[in-house]
Amino acid sequence: MAIRDLGLTVNEGEIVGLIGPNGSGKTTLFNLISGFLRPERGEINFDKKDITGLKPNKICKIGIARTFQLTKPFAHMTSLQNVMIGRAYGSDPVRNKRQAKKDCERILEFTGLAGKSHSVAATLGLAERKRLEIARALATKPRLLLLDEMMSGLTPAETESTMRLVKAIGDSGMTLIVVEHVMKAILKISSRLMVLNYGEKIADGSPEEVVRDKKVIKAYLGK
Amino acid sequence: MVLVPLITRRDDVLTWLCLTLQYIILSHSWNIIGGYAGQRSLGHAAFFGLGALIARYLWLSGLPLFLGLLAGASTAAIFAIIIGFPTFRMRGIYFAIGTLVLAEILRIIFETTLPQASVFPTRLLATYNLVPRYYLSLLIAGLTVATVYWISHSTLGLGMISIREEQDAAEASGVDTLRHKLLAFAISSFFAGLAGGVFTYYAAALRPGQMFEPVWTFDAVVIVFVGGVGTISGPIIGAVFFVLLKQLLSIYLPGGIHILVFGVLFIIVVLFLPGGLIKLMPKLRKRISRGRHPY
Amino acid sequence: MTVELVAQTIVNGIHVGALYGLVAVGLSLIFGVMKILNIAHGEFLMVGGYVAFWVFDLYDTDPFLSLPLVAIAMFLLGAGSYKLLFSGLAKFHEESKMENSLLVGFGLFLVFPQITRMLWTTDERAITPAYSGGSLPILGVRLAYVPLGALLVALVVILALHLLLTKTYFGKSVRATTQNWKSAKLAGINVERTYLITFGLGVAIAGVAGVFVGLIHAINPDIGIGWTLKALIVVVLAGIGSIGGAFFAGLILGVVEAVGAIFMGPYTVALGLVIFLLIMIFRPRGLFGKA
Repeated sequence: MAIRDLGLTVNEGEIVGLIGPNGSGKTTLFNLISGFLRPERGEINFDKKDITGLKPNKICKIGIARTFQLTKPFAHMTSLQNVMIGRAYGSDPVRNKRQAKKDCERILEFTGLAGKSHSVAATLGLAERKRLEIARALATKPRLLLLDEMMSGLTPAETESTMRLVKAIGDSGMTLIVVEHVMKAILKISSRLMVLNYGEKIADGSPEEVVRDKKVIKAYLGK
Repeated sequence: MVLVPLITRRDDVLTWLCLTLQYIILSHSWNIIGGYAGQRSLGHAAFFGLGALIARYLWLSGLPLFLGLLAGASTAAIFAIIIGFPTFRMRGIYFAIGTLVLAEILRIIFETTLPQASVFPTRLLATYNLVPRYYLSLLIAGLTVATVYWISHSTLGLGMISIREEQDAAEASGVDTLRHKLLAFAISSFFAGLAGGVFTYYAAALRPGQMFEPVWTFDAVVIVFVGGVGTISGPIIGAVFFVLLKQLLSIYLPGGIHILVFGVLFIIVVLFLPGGLIKLMPKLRKRISRGRHPY
Repeated sequence: MTVELVAQTIVNGIHVGALYGLVAVGLSLIFGVMKILNIAHGEFLMVGGYVAFWVFDLYDTDPFLSLPLVAIAMFLLGAGSYKLLFSGLAKFHEESKMENSLLVGFGLFLVFPQITRMLWTTDERAITPAYSGGSLPILGVRLAYVPLGALLVALVVILALHLLLTKTYFGKSVRATTQNWKSAKLAGINVERTYLITFGLGVAIAGVAGVFVGLIHAINPDIGIGWTLKALIVVVLAGIGSIGGAFFAGLILGVVEAVGAIFMGPYTVALGLVIFLLIMIFRPRGLFGKA
């Protein structure tokens, strides 16, 4: 059992950082929220509506989008096509092709992929693929965005620019839950920090408090 | 293409064209579910056979051919949904197994209950003419290719391809993967049923069980893969190549060897050339990729 | 509907089911360990039958005695096929590996019968040693010698496989590779060789089953697909990952079909499809499978 007794509330507009040692249940939590896993007990509510057990595509249509830790681009399609899927099937589907295309090109520009809109996704580098994940998720017009380790494997320069991107997304009013291992990054962008260990929440508060929390330090250094 | 029968009345040319067109229908119908939606059906013969037999018996009992074709194709589509619904929710191999099981069981049932060949009644045999067969094959082939073209340029097709590429990401982006897979499968099976119906109009004699033999699935899959899976011209080129090679081989070599040749060719393509023949032709490929990326 | 008839039906069902189970175990082994669904499994069964027939025809070797020969020959054929064809799939990643292995298997499953047809013609062959018709009457039920022998051999094979998988180093490497081939590799296990041997074993088991098919029924180049079909249904019924359970599921299918045949006649085959659909809808992980 990966997660036990997890009570979590996220308020609109927050940027919640989710950290914890490997295997503490962070990705499992994402899978639960996004509908890829069904909780055996408990419920998940979004905007006062019960979304427990809904299929992932329904959850996307309700306004929750996610990225994957190991990027899953549509490899044989171009970046533009990748993002178009989000635009056509997301929470605010647009069927007018020209309108959708314009929107998607804007999103690609926002995520720094403007020059790559006609490049096949398989040819993109790691940092670009991660941005494509974000772009595609943004195209579904979410109100809650789950980012799963967007900065792992990036160079310091790439991490900087991704951080700026995430901050920009947060500034635009989006609610974010961000899973990260790169401490510096997550401390900088989060308005709130939550720590998981062995599937349980061991801390929840402002970054300054959490960093000094004895349980958190023990979790990272102790075991 | 429409004017061909006006130029030649040679039976062998018309036969060759009919066969090629019918293989285009059969292979493109598999291309929809296996190429675009990425779900590898191994029981395509089931839908070909259903379409063939239902159309044949309805037509030979007096119903107009078009109604028979429609009935056969629709039945095929219904069976597709019956198999698709439980298996599409699981991993891909269950779908493959389910389709294979369906095709084989239908074959066994028809071979044991209807072992005798079904032959055209004498008046039909006396007036047998290849020209209407040619036109029907051409019409349905055109319809099939047009449908595949439409799918590949539509949002529906985009959704199907996204499922093929990365099902989880498609789900997470709002694509109802179950519905898309079922739709692709139903359309694919409908056209496979049409292929069967056209063949049944063309073939003066056939054994019912024979219509469900795995070789029909195999031929479709080989043509699609060798030609270029998930493309529009791929199966067309593949079908032309396939029929030509088959004729050639049957002239110089003992019967059945074409299965060996195609089997080996198929395995080579799967292992070393996943893009098919299309990949080998850069100029054609450029035109294809422009066709494949309408955005 | 006498008691004897029912008992005989069940006994017949067990006899057929033992073969189903044996074939399914081979298939399940290969799929469980390597995630390759060997659609050509039945073709290997067919070849095994032909080897036994050939040896019987030429040298008068009793088929039970030729079993080790068949097993070794099929093992080599399986390992060779793996080396030649399936190991080329290793370079694809997980999902497409499974898909492409289906296609390769599909290709084989059309090629093998064709080769056999060319070597031995389409005629049916049966292996008929002196004792083939004989049976042991017990309590009004006929226990035919050959199927009984098949059942015993099947049990021996399953037991041997079980011991191999649980008590030997090879068995350990198989289990480790099944769980996580990457970790197994890091732990020093030769994953490629494990796959090679596993495939060979699975095929060898199919070949052994083929000998009995030749004894009990007849063989011809086209029987492969039918046995693959049964094996697939049994594997789904048992649950992917349950190798031992596959044998029991085979017995179950055999008995269900035997009983069903009384009522359904030529449509009995449809039972397999019905079972498959029922499992897919109500218990996708199979009777014995892990979730």
